[in-house]
Amino acid sequence: MNQTVGQQLIIAAIPVLPALVFLILALFGRYIREGAQFVAIFGVATSLVFSCFALFFVARDGAPIDFAVNWINLEEGGSFPMGIYIDGLAAVMLVVVCFVSLMIQLYSGAFMQDDKRFAWYYAVLNLFTASMLGLVVASNFIELYVFWELVGLCSYLLIGHWFEKPEAARAAQKAFIVTRVGDMALFVGIIMFWRATGTTSYQGISEAAQAGFIGSSLFATAVVLVFVGAIGKSAQFPLHVWLPDAMEGPTPVSALIHAATMVAAGVYLVARTYDIFVQSPTAMLVVAYIGGFTALMAATMALTKKDMKRVIAYSTVSQLGYMMLALGIGAYSAGIFHLYNHAFFKALLFLGAGSIIYAMNSYNIFEMGGLRRRMPLTFWTMVIAGVSLAGIFPLSGFWSKDAIVVSAFAEHFYVLFAMALLTVFLTAFYIFRAIFVAFLGEPRTEAAREAIESPGIMTGPMVILAFFSVVSGLVGTPLRDYFAEIVAPSEFATEALGVEPHEFNVTLAVVSVVVALGGIALAYALYVPKPERAAELARRFSPIYTFLDKGWYFDALYDRVFVRPAMAIGRFVRQFDRRALGRLVTGVGRGFSGAGERLRPLQSGGAQNYALFILVSVLILGVIVGAQYAFLTVALIAVIALAAVALGARL
Amino acid sequence: MPPQAQQFLDTLNSTVPLEAYLIVGAIMFAIGAWGALIRRNAVVVFMCIELMINAVNLSLVAFADYLPDAGGAGVGYAVLVIAVAAAEVAVGLAIALAVYRTRKTVNVDEVNLMKG
Amino acid sequence: MIVAFVFLASMTLMCALGVVLSRNVVHSALFMSGSFLGISGFFVMLNAPALAAFQVLIYVGAVTVVILFGIMFTQRPQVRRFRTIINRQTWSGLVVTIGVGAFLGYVLSIQDWSATGPGNGPQGPGPLGEILLGVGGAPPIFGLLFEVISILLLVAVVAAIVVSRRKTGEGVDRGVEE
Repeated sequence: MNQTVGQQLIIAAIPVLPALVFLILALFGRYIREGAQFVAIFGVATSLVFSCFALFFVARDGAPIDFAVNWINLEEGGSFPMGIYIDGLAAVMLVVVCFVSLMIQLYSGAFMQDDKRFAWYYAVLNLFTASMLGLVVASNFIELYVFWELVGLCSYLLIGHWFEKPEAARAAQKAFIVTRVGDMALFVGIIMFWRATGTTSYQGISEAAQAGFIGSSLFATAVVLVFVGAIGKSAQFPLHVWLPDAMEGPTPVSALIHAATMVAAGVYLVARTYDIFVQSPTAMLVVAYIGGFTALMAATMALTKKDMKRVIAYSTVSQLGYMMLALGIGAYSAGIFHLYNHAFFKALLFLGAGSIIYAMNSYNIFEMGGLRRRMPLTFWTMVIAGVSLAGIFPLSGFWSKDAIVVSAFAEHFYVLFAMALLTVFLTAFYIFRAIFVAFLGEPRTEAAREAIESPGIMTGPMVILAFFSVVSGLVGTPLRDYFAEIVAPSEFATEALGVEPHEFNVTLAVVSVVVALGGIALAYALYVPKPERAAELARRFSPIYTFLDKGWYFDALYDRVFVRPAMAIGRFVRQFDRRALGRLVTGVGRGFSGAGERLRPLQSGGAQNYALFILVSVLILGVIVGAQYAFLTVALIAVIALAAVALGARL
Repeated sequence: MPPQAQQFLDTLNSTVPLEAYLIVGAIMFAIGAWGALIRRNAVVVFMCIELMINAVNLSLVAFADYLPDAGGAGVGYAVLVIAVAAAEVAVGLAIALAVYRTRKTVNVDEVNLMKG
Repeated sequence: MIVAFVFLASMTLMCALGVVLSRNVVHSALFMSGSFLGISGFFVMLNAPALAAFQVLIYVGAVTVVILFGIMFTQRPQVRRFRTIINRQTWSGLVVTIGVGAFLGYVLSIQDWSATGPGNGPQGPGPLGEILLGVGGAPPIFGLLFEVISILLLVAVVAAIVVSRRKTGEGVDRGVEE
C-alpha cells in the first residue's frame, strides 16, 4: 500500500512513457521517419516491464496500489484528484494492453512500411496506448472521462489515418459521433453521481450509494447512463454500427483498438465500477440482456460478410456481448477472463487478415483461396485463433467461454443461456466459413496465386499471439483458478450478488464443445466440397440473407432518422450563414465604405470651403461653450449651423 | 420748444452705448467673413480680410474708451494690429502676384490641384 | 453723438457690403477705403484721434494703394454677370456668417456694460505714445511688442520682395507653363 517514491514513479511511468513517445514523434517525426518504430517499441516495451512489476506487486501484496495528487481543489465545490488505483483487474489489463500494443507496433513496422505518415501513425498509436493505460489506472470518474475521450480521439485519428479515402474519413466520423452519444450519456451519469454524492471517486460513490444517499430511481438511471457510455465504447446494441465501418483503418489499428483494448474499455468500466453496478439489480439485468442480445445479433450479421475484416469486427462485437453478459449475471471473473483471452486471439485474427492483405491486397474472401499452401504460417496461426474463438477444448477460448455459459445456466438465466449457446454455434460457423473459404480450395484470383508469406517481423508477433491463444487459458482452469484469485470482485460485491461458486459442470462443457464442432462441420460442409451449395442457400433465403447482410438494416435506420435530418440542418445552417450572416457582415463593411464614399466630397480641395467649415465649427464650439446662455439662442445657432452644413456639404 | 422735441434732441445728444459699437463691429466682421467665403477673386478676399481686421480694431478701441481700468491699452493693441495687417497685405499680395505669374489667374477656384 | 454714430455706422456697413458685392474689383477697393474712413471716424468718436490719423494714413493711404497695385498687376476684365464673381458657397456662407454675427453680437451685448462710460481713451498722441511704449498706466509688455512689430515689418518687406521677384528667364507674356 505504501509505495516508495521510486515505486510510485515506476507505476506512474506506465502511462506516461507512451505519452512521451507521442510527443517526441509528433514533434520530430518528420526527421526520424523510419526510426519512429524503434522509439515507440522501446517505450512500450518499458511500459510492459513496469506493468509486470505492477502486477507482481499487486499479486504479492494482495492489496491495490493507490496514490493520488490533488488536481483541482474547489474548496466548497469539491476537489478532483488525479490518481492511480491498480488492483488485480487493473494490473492484468495493464499487462494485456502493453503486450498487445507491443505486438502491434512490431507488426506495423512492416505493414505500414511505405506509408507517408509513418511517424505520425506511431505517434498516435502511442498516444492511444498512453490513454488506454491512463483509463485503466484511473481512480475516479473524471479522470476516467478524460482518458475515455482521449481514447475516442485516437480511435478517430487512427481510423481516419488514410483520410484521402473518403470511406475512411466517413468511417472515422461515424465512429466518433456514435461513441459520442455514449460519451454524453456517461457524462450525464457522472454528473448525476457527483451532484448526489459530492465526489467522483468510485469508492466514494459506491459507499454513498450503500449509505443511501442516492435515491433508488435516480441511482438506477445514473448507472444505466454510465452503462450507455460503455455501450458506445464497446459497440453493443444499439450503438454497434460504428465498429464494422471502422475497419477502413489500417489492420494493425483494428487489431489493437477494436479487438483488444479500446472496445474493452466499456467492459472494463463496468467491471471497475462493479461495486456501484451491483447495487442496482435493474442495471445488472440491462447489462446482461443487452450483452446477450448483442452477442447473438452480431453473430448473425457475421454470417454473410465477404470482407474478412468485417467478419472479425462483428465477431468482436459478439464476444464483447459475451463479456457484458457475464458481468451482468454476476460472473465477474469469467467476464474479465474472457476479456483477457479474447485480446490475444482476436488480435491474432486481425493480424492474420493484415498478413493476407499485405500479401494480396484484398480482403474479399471470395477472391482468396488456396492460401494454405502459399502462406502456411498465417494459415496455422489463424486456425489456432479460430479454434480458440470457437471455444474448443483445451484452448483458451474454451475455458472462458465455457465459464460464461455455465454461469448463465447455473444462475437460472435460461434465456441468456440459450442465446449464448446459439451464439457459440454461429461463432464457430462464421469464423471457419471465413477461414475455409480463404485458405482451402483453389486460388480464385491472380493475386491469390501470387501470394507469399509475410516477412518475419509480421509473422513473429502472430506466432507469439498464437502461443498465448493456446496457453493463456491455463491460468484460469477449474483445477487451479489463478486468475480468479487476482481478479475478483470486492467482498461487498460478492455479498451483494449472492453468487455461490459453482463446480465445473462437465455436461455443459461437453455440450458447448459439441455445438462448436457442429458449427465448424456445417461450415466445412457448405463451403469446401461444393461451394455452390452456399450460394444456392443464399438465393433460396434471399430476404433473410439481405436482412443479415445489411446488418439488420440498422445503418439504414440510423441514416434515415438521424443522419439525414442532421445533414439537412447542417446544410440549412450553412446556407443561413452564407446568405444571412455573410450578407450582414459584408453589408456592414459595405455600409461603412459607402458612408466613407459619401463623406468624401466634403474634402473638396477648395480653401474657401474649408474656411466655411471652420466657421461652422466655431459656431458649434461657441454654442457648446456658451450653453449657459439662453436655450433659445442655442437652438437658433444650432439650426443655423445645421442648415449651413446641409447647404455646404452639397458642394 | 415742445417737450417731446426737447426729449428727442436730448436723446440725440446722449452717449452711445458700448453695445452699439460692438454690434457694428460684429456685423462688419460678419460681412467681411461672408465676403472671404464668397468671392472668387483672391484680391477681393484680401480686402474682406482687411474688413474683418478693422472690425476687430473698432471693438478694441471701443473697449479702450469705455472700460476705465484698462488704461487705454486697447488703442495700443489696435496700433499693433494695424501694423501686422499692413505687413500681411504686403506679403499676401506678393504671393498673389507670384501665383498669377505661373497660373495666369487669381481665381481662387482655379488654383486647386486637390479638387475632386 | 447718436446722429454721428448712425451716420458713420451706415456708411461703414454700406461700404462693407459694397466690397463684397460689386462686380468691378476697383470698385471693391474704393468701397474698402470708404469703409476705412468710416472706421476712422469711429476712432475720433472714441477719443482716439491719433489713432484715427494712423488709420487714414496707413489704411486709406498705403494699404489701398498696395491693393490697387495688386489689382493692376492681376488684371481682370469687368464681368457682366454677378455669378462670375461669386462661388457656390453663397447661401451656406450667408447662413453661417449670419450665425457667427448673431452669436458674436449676442455674446457681446448680453454683458452688463452699465458701469462703463466714454472718456478713457488717449486723447492725444502723447498718451498714445505712452501707451505704445509701455509707460504710464499701460501694460509694460508694449515695449517689447513695439520692437517686435518693427522687426515684423522688416521681415514682411523682405518677404514680399523675395516672393514676388521675377526669376531669370521668366516673362509675363509667355503662355501658361503647365
